[in-house]
Amino acid sequence: MSIDTFVYRNTSPPPDAAGTPLSGKRFSVQPNMSVRDWPTGAGSLALEGYVAVENATVVGRLQMAGAYIVGSTRMSEFGLGICDDSSARAVVDGHADIALITDTMGEARMAAALTGLCGFKPSYGIVSRLGLIGLVPSMECFGMVARHPADITAVLGAVVGPDENDFSMVVDGIPDPGAEKGDGDLRGSFGVVPEILELLGKEEIKIFRENLKWLEMNGWKVHEVSIPDFALFPVIHNVIGSVEASSSGGKYDGVRYGYRAQGTKNWNEMYLKTRDEAFGFLVKTYFMQGAYFQFENYQAFENACRIRARLLRETQRLFEEVDMLVLPTRRHGFPADTARSVKETYEAFSFTVLSNITGQPAIHLSNPRGGKPFEPGVQLVCPHCADFRLLSVAEQLYACWKGGY
Amino acid sequence: MGYEAVIGLEIHLELNCMTKMFCNCPNLPGDEPNLNTCPICLWFPGAIPQFSHETLEKAVITSLALNCEIQKESAFDQKVYYYPDLPKGFQLSQAHRPLARHGWLDIIGMDGRTRRLRIRHVHMEEDVAKLVHETEGRTPISLVDFNRAGVPLVEIVTEPDMRSPHDAMEFIRALRMQIRYAGSADCSMEAGTMRVDANISIRPEASEVMNTKVEVKNMNSIRHLGDAIAYEMQRQEACVRNGEAIVLHTRLWDPDRRMTTPMRGKFEGPCVPDPSVPAIRLSEEWISEMKSRLPEMPGEKVERFINQYGLSRDEAVMMSSERDLSEYFESVVKENIAPRLASHWVATQLLPLIRERQQNIAESPVTPARLAALLSMLAGEEINTSSAKIVLTQLFERKDSPEAIVQMSGFSQVSDKDELDRLVDRVMADNPSAVEDFRNGQAKALGFLIGRAMQASQGKANPKMIREILTKKLG
Repeated sequence: MSIDTFVYRNTSPPPDAAGTPLSGKRFSVQPNMSVRDWPTGAGSLALEGYVAVENATVVGRLQMAGAYIVGSTRMSEFGLGICDDSSARAVVDGHADIALITDTMGEARMAAALTGLCGFKPSYGIVSRLGLIGLVPSMECFGMVARHPADITAVLGAVVGPDENDFSMVVDGIPDPGAEKGDGDLRGSFGVVPEILELLGKEEIKIFRENLKWLEMNGWKVHEVSIPDFALFPVIHNVIGSVEASSSGGKYDGVRYGYRAQGTKNWNEMYLKTRDEAFGFLVKTYFMQGAYFQFENYQAFENACRIRARLLRETQRLFEEVDMLVLPTRRHGFPADTARSVKETYEAFSFTVLSNITGQPAIHLSNPRGGKPFEPGVQLVCPHCADFRLLSVAEQLYACWKGGY
Repeated sequence: MGYEAVIGLEIHLELNCMTKMFCNCPNLPGDEPNLNTCPICLWFPGAIPQFSHETLEKAVITSLALNCEIQKESAFDQKVYYYPDLPKGFQLSQAHRPLARHGWLDIIGMDGRTRRLRIRHVHMEEDVAKLVHETEGRTPISLVDFNRAGVPLVEIVTEPDMRSPHDAMEFIRALRMQIRYAGSADCSMEAGTMRVDANISIRPEASEVMNTKVEVKNMNSIRHLGDAIAYEMQRQEACVRNGEAIVLHTRLWDPDRRMTTPMRGKFEGPCVPDPSVPAIRLSEEWISEMKSRLPEMPGEKVERFINQYGLSRDEAVMMSSERDLSEYFESVVKENIAPRLASHWVATQLLPLIRERQQNIAESPVTPARLAALLSMLAGEEINTSSAKIVLTQLFERKDSPEAIVQMSGFSQVSDKDELDRLVDRVMADNPSAVEDFRNGQAKALGFLIGRAMQASQGKANPKMIREILTKKLG
């Protein structure tokens, strides 16, 4: 087991869980997903030495379903971006079958895209967020990375459903694993957003078109559907995300838990020095941006909320024309794994933030042929709560892929 | 040129819910420090607030008691500021979309006329923790008690309709009466369950301008509220007359020096919609259900007491001034006691005794049934008024029934005609000059003779019969 991949390893033996749905499945979590009595530092000095007092609902449900959590992986501070993230590595290296990864702007899909795996972000509000230590409550969720979509289907089946302790979940329409898993021929229509082409290089456009052609050859219809303001998704995510992060981060003040700076004369100094020392560059910049919108430019934040609502309506309308959207996941020349500034991070995640803003489920599928040097795979986005249909389609596409290109 | 004040109030009420607002910790801020805390109200990482239904119900009932329109949609915002009494860098409040709007309360103005004072809105808000400043050796330290963090509050914001300390004090009295009736909050300024801040500005009389206001805090009684406003009006008037500008800021009332002192510039942090607490949508049916839970309020009760029981307006106002009192009164009346007799005895005899003993009418050992038994003996002329007063005092100390006390103490009124005849004869014989005076037309002498007869019987004679017999024998 690579020391670099894990920051904490489970010392208890795997459970005797024969006959349970996730029996024999090994999971990795991130240290911002609460496992009782485990160090839960969320990749931040702000939570140095913090130990979770209770299980995240998701962790409890996985254990109930017979899963074994092998340890927690290295992560970017509070799960923003994947610059210091090793969750996909745990799967690639065979330490875990499924990696749970905080998905705030597309991290599960991006980590999968960079390692040839599949990465999934569920619909907002269908999986409890209780015990997930993040920064952007209206957009973040437990993301999942695995080799095959079938594994993700099994995991989602175990964790999906209402949690009486998470009041932010959707009230109606949480998908039921049994009822929603479509059988038979799921081939329908994919929508392609032409506006994305402006953000791609020539080589990328060529490969993306080849992928579309392959989908058509396998019986899928591909239509163009327009989102004129597609370029606004990262901007809106940045404005709203930074404001929520600035508020969420307010609790890391050194008063009750976590890191506290030493040698200060009064509490104002203690606040300033603690917060100055506790956060890294990316998170601190993000907090400052959020504070700017809160204190100095609230109008811009209100505008962003209005635009978010409009982008959601426009995206929902597209699903009257097509069953799913097909998008690239990553952009050549904008690597997510080395993005250390807010700007670089949003450039890298330009294609994935859409579903974090709309709350719709999305999956990244890597071409199992593993084409080199540049094989982006595809990202699929579908209507809210149609998660199991999306996963069934993903499984079917994998079957086609395996059958030959 | 004369000046008038423009006054608006911001009132924080602690709702008397069982639990805190976003978790299940007991709503008991006075317990041993940090006893009533959990991962949610300490805002541990990964915790999610769970909005309490009881808070919503009590906040709605409070708003209805203040004649507000309940908003079908409201939502929580984060009021952002950093202070150690705030466990997460923001306070959950409702700045943009409050729970209720457009309320009002009537008061009697200084001119004796009824005035309607408007309430702009009522919103829900969580309380913050309590800071305790101490020293450890020579080092000053600050301790935080989170028992109060997350305690459910409503904030009531009035329109600037008040013009005098009288208006503000009457408004608070009216508000307290309404809310105590509704039963959703204790409303004690002294105990800190009601905190009143006043925004005060002045302007030339009869003018319509709104000048820069000053906020005054830290009044812990209704009297202090009036004093602080009066002081601040004078202070501002002096400033204006000296040509000094009034600056927007916050002042503290100092009850010892009886003056306000500057505290800080008025800080208004940003308010951002909260993404974790769901928006509140209320149906017409649910609001109606809450309305039906509101008890009969004092205004309606006064009218009913006048019509149903024939009380005078003053008596009816007195008997409905508190919900417990009004219920006590009605319980006595239900035992077949004449309403005006009941009202008179409760107001003039029972309440002073209860107050003397610092008791609560609902928990007084003189239950409505015991008072009714006593009044029933009085009405049936089994005892006279002065005996009844003594028995009432004894009801506070003894568990015996009023009947038993009357029996044991020999208070039973003497209504035996022969016995009273003999008594009257003796009194007339002992006081020949008074008898003479009466016969010479001095009516006052009758009262004197009745008094003597009562005295001679040690208060037990039936005064009505004494009067009859005397009048007959003198006539």
